[in-house]
Amino acid sequence: MTIHSAFRHACLLGLVMAFGLPVHADHSELNPNAMDVKPGDTVKVSRIPGTIYLRTQNDPDDLIWDRLPLYRIELMPAPPVHTSVILRMDPTANTPKHLYFQVARSDERFYVRLRWKDATENRATAVDRFRDGAAVQYALKGSDTSLMMGTGPDNAVNIWYWRADEEQAENLAAGGFGSTTRLTEQPVSGASAYIREAIAQDSEWHVVMSRPLKVDGEHQVDLEREAVPVMFALWQGDTAQRDGDKRISQNWIMLDTTTAP
Amino acid sequence: MAVKRQLSMVLDLNKCIGCQTCTAACKLMWTNRNGREFMYWNNVETQPGKGYPRDYQNMGGGFDENGGLRLGRQPSQDDYGIPWEYNYEEALMTGTDPWLRPNVKPTWGANWDEDEGLGEYPNSYYFYLPRLCNHCANPACLAACTRNAIYKRQEDGIVLVDQERCRGYRYCVNACPYKKVYFNEQISKSEKCIFCYPRIEKGLPTACAQQCVGRIRWIGYRDDEEGPIHLLVEKYKVALPLHPEWGTQPNVFYVPPMSPSKYGPNGEALDESRIPLEYLESLFGDRVGEVLATLGAERQAKAEGRDSELMDTLIGYKHAEMFKLS
Repeated sequence: MTIHSAFRHACLLGLVMAFGLPVHADHSELNPNAMDVKPGDTVKVSRIPGTIYLRTQNDPDDLIWDRLPLYRIELMPAPPVHTSVILRMDPTANTPKHLYFQVARSDERFYVRLRWKDATENRATAVDRFRDGAAVQYALKGSDTSLMMGTGPDNAVNIWYWRADEEQAENLAAGGFGSTTRLTEQPVSGASAYIREAIAQDSEWHVVMSRPLKVDGEHQVDLEREAVPVMFALWQGDTAQRDGDKRISQNWIMLDTTTAP
Repeated sequence: MAVKRQLSMVLDLNKCIGCQTCTAACKLMWTNRNGREFMYWNNVETQPGKGYPRDYQNMGGGFDENGGLRLGRQPSQDDYGIPWEYNYEEALMTGTDPWLRPNVKPTWGANWDEDEGLGEYPNSYYFYLPRLCNHCANPACLAACTRNAIYKRQEDGIVLVDQERCRGYRYCVNACPYKKVYFNEQISKSEKCIFCYPRIEKGLPTACAQQCVGRIRWIGYRDDEEGPIHLLVEKYKVALPLHPEWGTQPNVFYVPPMSPSKYGPNGEALDESRIPLEYLESLFGDRVGEVLATLGAERQAKAEGRDSELMDTLIGYKHAEMFKLS
């Protein structure tokens, strides 16, 4: 870059700063390699070919994830439905939070990888400390299922819940508020890495959750359907988030499994 | 919350000697293991004092004047006190350690401020306040639970946490102004006093009441007009709930402590009690004065050889008669 062009760039930058960028919640979190996904969009499930061997099943930083499409979605505070949550909602925390996700399947398993920035690594669950968490929620039926934990027992959701205090993912189901239930079958596994950076705000969680495509038991999402409605949630342990005090994606995203025969 | 019947306990603070036998009974029965070590479902604290957990009376929770849930401060592990163990084996048995010592430095614990109280000699004062879950008629823990994991049994009003439904959100711990729900870190679920329901179901009193050497505890149903609770709470109206202003409608009641006269500057007895009435009212509400007057009058009657049904009951001649569980 010549001195001249550098000067021009600096002027341009100054101009942009003076007039203000379009205010984006967490601009610093933007990853230029990710594709923006809007609520209601359809996202293709990547195929992990049978020739690729994953040395560790849920390695959150396996090389494979560098080669698969990365999607970005905005999470907003979930509308509170119980007094206990309303009492704890921070009305100023209304800026979107970016969550990056990747979805892939092999011949046998279905994988979801999540990445998000978090300045604090909250791995403990103690009397006054809360863990970080992430969840992937699938509608067992169509996208007319309520986003908010499903619509009754006949229109339930299956939830994979990763909690930072245990290297595991819980397999849950819900059919309405307050009905979240741990299922008898626990075929979902998960693993995480907290990537600590010199600037705390840049530190990042990498979480992979996966499950065999074929499973037994009730309330397990059928991942071999052509379209699978999915949404995401995050809990920030540092601000005592738990239960309905969380950030969620704003509508179902449809997973298109058809490219993965 | 209407239930068919409500079990209830009355504790006479005039008889409590702070021996912690109730605490030990409860701990041995329920909380000396499996992540509950820091919990005292039953504790005896010195009042005036910080209580257990430390400063719980200023942590919030309960309900506001309009019946809305009030947010509280979550107690820390330090507020409860970190449980410690002694090296009995090494110090006393094998002799491999010359000192008997705790494995962590004790800095706080239940009744840490034992017998401190308030006031200057000769007018210093304190009394013991045993506390357990109040099995409230309007439990804040139940109202705060987003999962309907807390329920109140129809047959006896005992408030329980359904361990299958609890997901450890701790709203209940926060909402109980008495801080009588505890979070078990080992299982990530909340637990609390169960009013010894397995004993109650066999017709036995709770462990804390059974073991009480001061015979300060009565147990019975609120609606049993032949029982001790009715006599103390309804008939003579000498038993009061702790902090009724918190809005949870407790079913544990206390006979407030009487105290000797305060001394004046020249050692003369003044016409006011050693434990200030305002202080007792701050704990048990504005009926304390009336209750203390009743107790004084009945005590005098007994002293003069007259009959007093109330005093006969409060004395508790026969321990078994203090419990009416049918």
